Amino acid sequence: MKILAIMKKELQAFFFSPIAYIVFSSFLAIVGYLFWVILVTSKIATLEPMLYNAAFILMLASPVLTMRLVSEEKKSKTIELLLTSPISPFQIIVGKFLACFVLYLVLMILTLQYPLILSMYSKDFDVGPIYSGYLGLVLLGAAYISFGLFASTLTENQIIAAMVSFGGLILFWIFGWARHAFENDFGELLGNLSLFDRYAEFLRGIVDSGNVIFFVVFTMTWLFLATRVLESDRWR
Amino acid sequence: MIEMHNITKYYDNFRALNDITLTVERGEILGLLGPNGAGKTTAMRILTCFLPASSGSATVAGYDVFEDSLEVRRRLGYLPETPPLYPEMTVKAYLNFIGEIRELPGNLRERRIDYVADRLGLIENLGRVIGTLSKGYRQRVGLAQALLHNPEVLILDEPTVGLDPNQIIEIRGLIKDLAKDHTIVLSTHILPEVSMTCGRVVIINEGEIVAVDSVANLEKNAKVSPSWKIVLKPAAGQQWRDSIDRCDSAHISDIKELGDAFEFKLELTRNDMFDELFTSLTGGGAVFREISPARATLEDIFLKLTSSEERKEEE
Repeated sequence: MKILAIMKKELQAFFFSPIAYIVFSSFLAIVGYLFWVILVTSKIATLEPMLYNAAFILMLASPVLTMRLVSEEKKSKTIELLLTSPISPFQIIVGKFLACFVLYLVLMILTLQYPLILSMYSKDFDVGPIYSGYLGLVLLGAAYISFGLFASTLTENQIIAAMVSFGGLILFWIFGWARHAFENDFGELLGNLSLFDRYAEFLRGIVDSGNVIFFVVFTMTWLFLATRVLESDRWR
Repeated sequence: MIEMHNITKYYDNFRALNDITLTVERGEILGLLGPNGAGKTTAMRILTCFLPASSGSATVAGYDVFEDSLEVRRRLGYLPETPPLYPEMTVKAYLNFIGEIRELPGNLRERRIDYVADRLGLIENLGRVIGTLSKGYRQRVGLAQALLHNPEVLILDEPTVGLDPNQIIEIRGLIKDLAKDHTIVLSTHILPEVSMTCGRVVIINEGEIVAVDSVANLEKNAKVSPSWKIVLKPAAGQQWRDSIDRCDSAHISDIKELGDAFEFKLELTRNDMFDELFTSLTGGGAVFREISPARATLEDIFLKLTSSEERKEEE
């Protein structure tokens, strides 16, 4: 129940501030443009390039949504209220994560118009990669949000929180390049952490349980670390 | 209700609290008094489980603040120095959120919101967005938040800061009223506040307790000689100064001429000398226009205690 209370409060805050609306409208404008321009040039009824680009744009947009989650509470000292209430840091973090994730899901639902448009004009159109692509996008979103939330617990400065999550997410996105650079076990290890490589398989229509588990574990790890940072603040 | 045993708190190498031992009984209002940076807020943060102590132990309502932090937090209402408000929420939504995280079930929550809003004069502002409220009203919302779940223990960090004089009187009245069924610890650096609201005072300076007593006892025990403010009109040619100087235990200072009269401060090391001095002065034809006893105020005591600490450290 307390998790729901936190989630409700965060959702209210998102829709009160202009940030959610700005992120929503610019994301939808960019994706809409991409959908049109890709479709008209390639004349192929596929969403793969659009979903690929959407994932990259979301990586840039999600830190803007997550940066305020904990930083703002620290800055305005409301964190003192939360931590002296009978609510655990875990409940606070999960509530905030869910609020942001709900927002992300709404954003995903708003993009469903593109596969709908495609299905109206295309006879034999392969829906498999679209299902798996969206599943990948949802899992990827959870990963983005958990990392951004973790970055937000580190500082009371929202800009720093946003920069840390941009930097971290971009690194995780391109870790796969290390495979070619090292061509050894270390390169392989870094490559396995690559968000992009994992997501690319979903776009090809492959739902590998290893990839699903990777995203779930990735998300839980950062949520766990965020909880620990919030707890450890008391010790400073 | 509240016990602190040998609490010491370091921030890196800075010692904010040193060996604080303190007990607060049920139904008591305890005032923490001290200059800014004395350690009042730190002490409160330890009691509210926001900060752990570096050493020592503390219990609230029988629960250890470290071991049973959740049970302690259930029983606490806390108003931090800055009222912890979400400016984008309405007062009602905010209090409802507090009720949810404070584990108040739905119907009770509604009743408590109405009750605290009524007590704090917030009924008409329930629908307003907190960001648009004045500082005084924000402070009230902060207090409402602390009272909402009817906690056994209330910890209020400078509750009247930012309020106008009328509101200060109201809030002080409210605090006194609340003491009937709550235990209250409040901090302040405003002296009259303590004399008006608190049963007992703890004076903290540089992280150490320098005095614990009731306001009345502190005033009584402060080794400040009794003194009076006197306005005296001597008879023509009367050597009134000589009469006073002849009395060994008398000392006068701050002499001011007010036309035909003199105003001065009289200190007597022996209280019983007053009658004798009075008789000798009136006998010489002097007329007293004003005699007002200047009691030692908390301010004097405070200055005395905190400055003697400084002296100790210099040695």
